[in-house]
Amino acid sequence: MLNLEQNYGIPVAPISAYTMESVAKSERGHHLPFIYTPLPVIGMSPEVLDKFIAGNDPETGKPVIREIIDALTNPASVRRPEAETAPPEIKRMVTPQALLGPDTEDNLQRLFYEKGWTDGLPIILPTEERVKKMLTGTSASPDEVVGQAFNMDSGELLRYTVQNIAVIAVMAGARPEHFPVILAIASTGQSALMPSTTAFGTMLLVNGPIRNEIGMNCGIGAFSPVNMANSVIGRSWTLMSICWGFAKPKKTLWSSQGNNLLYNNMCVAENEERSVWAPFHVGKGFRADESVVSIFRGWGFFNAPGTAAHRSVAEELNIQLAAMPPQRSEATIIIDPLVAKTLKENEGFNTKQDFCRWLSENIKIPAGQYWKFDHIDMLVASQAYQGVEPYASWKKLPDDALIAPYYNPNNINIVVVGGETSPLWKATDYNYVTSASIDKWRVKKSGN
Amino acid sequence: MMSEVRYSVMSPEAGVQKSPGGPPPGMGGPQPGPGRPRPGMGGAPPRTGTPAPTPYSPAKRLDTLENKTVYLVDIGFGGGYNFMLQLQKWFKENMPSVTTIVKRKPGHVFMDDRNDLWEEVKAKGHAVVLGVAG
Repeated sequence: MLNLEQNYGIPVAPISAYTMESVAKSERGHHLPFIYTPLPVIGMSPEVLDKFIAGNDPETGKPVIREIIDALTNPASVRRPEAETAPPEIKRMVTPQALLGPDTEDNLQRLFYEKGWTDGLPIILPTEERVKKMLTGTSASPDEVVGQAFNMDSGELLRYTVQNIAVIAVMAGARPEHFPVILAIASTGQSALMPSTTAFGTMLLVNGPIRNEIGMNCGIGAFSPVNMANSVIGRSWTLMSICWGFAKPKKTLWSSQGNNLLYNNMCVAENEERSVWAPFHVGKGFRADESVVSIFRGWGFFNAPGTAAHRSVAEELNIQLAAMPPQRSEATIIIDPLVAKTLKENEGFNTKQDFCRWLSENIKIPAGQYWKFDHIDMLVASQAYQGVEPYASWKKLPDDALIAPYYNPNNINIVVVGGETSPLWKATDYNYVTSASIDKWRVKKSGN
Repeated sequence: MMSEVRYSVMSPEAGVQKSPGGPPPGMGGPQPGPGRPRPGMGGAPPRTGTPAPTPYSPAKRLDTLENKTVYLVDIGFGGGYNFMLQLQKWFKENMPSVTTIVKRKPGHVFMDDRNDLWEEVKAKGHAVVLGVAG
């Protein structure tokens, strides 16, 4: 919009749903005289849209159409902001030392909750003694900068230290031995919560020797709420994301329904010992004896209710993934070791890559069906318009022509998790985001 | 029992810097991926030491919309195109001298990354209604 106004000299009347009012008024949009519809326009009938146009802007009480005309013709409708200044340079790192005064457990729990520093569950209060103990879980200096994150609430960039993350780890209920994994997650700067009106889901996957050393569950009930390491590591990511400012309703949290998978972000370890294939992190270039945490994110999640008793596993997944069209051919499939064994020994897929290639070539849906998925139209159509293949070619096809939406097998991730009590799986549209080494953050043994 | 706790977990005392911000949020949002950091939410965090934003100078407003051409541009959020069609209908019924053209913005929904439509507007039009975010 600024480009149109400033570089082309074209007056613009920008319109937003009132649910996004805080964003429109944020630093990003405060120059522009936004006009608001009372609700999102998606799915509204023509009659309702007519009422939005003739009806009043919920902020100003004036008719929306009048405001559109004014925005384009009335000089007074344009706000001229005060001159802005460059953001200040960070001159030095300041480690927070502020302490709350002594108070009762109940009062402090209430304070943390009311300040918006928790996920709603009680926390372990981060006393100095507990934070100090947590710091014994790493050889890194308490003042070492772990990473930086964009604070959606304040619009500021936040640097955080090992000690900051130790406070989070204590709050989540972690023990010192869990701390290196939590630091590795923090080092990515990735948030578990996403500022979206949709309901993103996430997954944390731990590979390598540390899984067993800290007692993570990769077997029976690996995703169930029973294992301390899985629970507290996953919760730590949520708590740090909340403290990065990603959970202020209508300010940075717009997800209409939310997603309670984010309580611990599907934190799990891979069952490397029972898998017939190479561990996930090895496929990403890490050594098998390295400990690594990987992050995945997406929306769609299909928790298989049954096995593949009457069709092959490949055919079952073909049907299920066809209902979750990917943006960039991305999917993450979490299979029980029994499924991996079946795929290799009964269905002839010697490697994960062989299976991914088969899925890529065989999952097909009509082009018209693909483009009418709302998120595909919104996020992928622009690439088609820019000539990016295969989207540009798909856009030219008749609605009933079949396309292979998982066209790139390299973007399909296979992870092996489960306790071999049933050959089940979970199919998701999650994309692989990144991996981080855990070993950097572990306690260095003497002589190293 | 009384406790004393370390509370300043991620506060500005930890060192913060104003960021230039990112694209507007909404359904979807940018998806960071390996080797594909994107600006704004969820992608790589903004770098420190960013330059000062350029001063904003809005375009001159029109004297009137009568006999002008207004582009009604759907940015790509669901429902935006239908909203613009109804807005076009309103102009036809109530301000028939206004020519309206409904278009879908060709670039990314969260970014102003294409100029071809803006070139067309510059050549053939006078104003833009842009939306609907959210």
